[in-house]
Amino acid sequence: MPRKQRTFEESPRPETNALVTRLVEELQQKDKESGQPLIYEELFPTGKIRVVVIWDEWDRLSLEDRTAAILQAYERAEGRTYRDKIALASGLTVPEAHAAGMLPFEVLPAWRTGDPVTLEQCRQAMVEEGASKLFGPDIVQLRFATREEAEDARGRLVSSLPGSDQVWTIAQDVGSVEEWSNR
Amino acid sequence: MPKRLLDRCQPDSIREFRAAARQRFDDGLALSVAGQRTGAIYLWGYTAEMTLRAAYLSFIGLGETTPITQKEHLRPAVNQGRLLGVAWPPQGEFHNVRAWAELLVTQRASTPDAAYSPSFGGDVQRYGQRIGELWREFLRYHRNYAYAFEVRQVREAAEWFLVNSHAL
Repeated sequence: MPRKQRTFEESPRPETNALVTRLVEELQQKDKESGQPLIYEELFPTGKIRVVVIWDEWDRLSLEDRTAAILQAYERAEGRTYRDKIALASGLTVPEAHAAGMLPFEVLPAWRTGDPVTLEQCRQAMVEEGASKLFGPDIVQLRFATREEAEDARGRLVSSLPGSDQVWTIAQDVGSVEEWSNR
Repeated sequence: MPKRLLDRCQPDSIREFRAAARQRFDDGLALSVAGQRTGAIYLWGYTAEMTLRAAYLSFIGLGETTPITQKEHLRPAVNQGRLLGVAWPPQGEFHNVRAWAELLVTQRASTPDAAYSPSFGGDVQRYGQRIGELWREFLRYHRNYAYAFEVRQVREAAEWFLVNSHAL
């Protein structure tokens, strides 16, 4: 009887090169303060690293392709040794990260008639700051993992829209009673 | 009089999960051969879930036959995953194969001398992601008919977890 060996077939990957190139640029741009992608790196005492890249551009890619793109970008930006330290690389869109409870702080405009800026100006400033447009039609949400990040974003929004100090507010998701009881 | 099926269940344990994972895999194979694609995927998802749960609980030191409970073992595992930064949405949380796979990789990465090799850890995450995108426990409530390539992808991933269960 013939003896046959096979390996698991890799599924064909969609074109991810453009996103990898953009992510490489983001990784090399050390002083960028705002906008997507949000890149979180956690260094464990073992020297291993967990990376989460929150980016609405992932929307068209499978989870596998996102991980592959992140690892490829790190290898190009930081080298093979650094890439091999990454134990887990995850790519999530902003709504996905929010659903997982990773972005509990939201900066939003508490806009009133008579305010010195328009709601459309606020919306535009939020998008430039990294707000997601994937939550639904005509909905933008500017979300962060920590209050500090949200406060910094609020400061930049005030700078970009002079007179908007009183417009911006920060809200925090508190979760359901069941979620609290499970902690 | 023989005991009824439910009365013959052993308590949930690592040993029981591993044995059941193999049974469900074989059940899935039988269904896929009979053309019951969604049913096959439904069972293979549990194969992966039980294999990963068993691997994680074994890694943190739980005994092979120690009874597993939601309060003492599964809930703390989910909380630990979130603490380690695993994206773990609340809906159907105990059945989230992708999250269980990522918990295992991350827990090992944060433990001295226990991290997977980059290649093996990548495979654990990849196959977890693959099942995570094609399987949920709520599939049982729906009449969708799976595509052949979806059946192949879930079978390969579940089989990979079974074949490598000793190394997880």
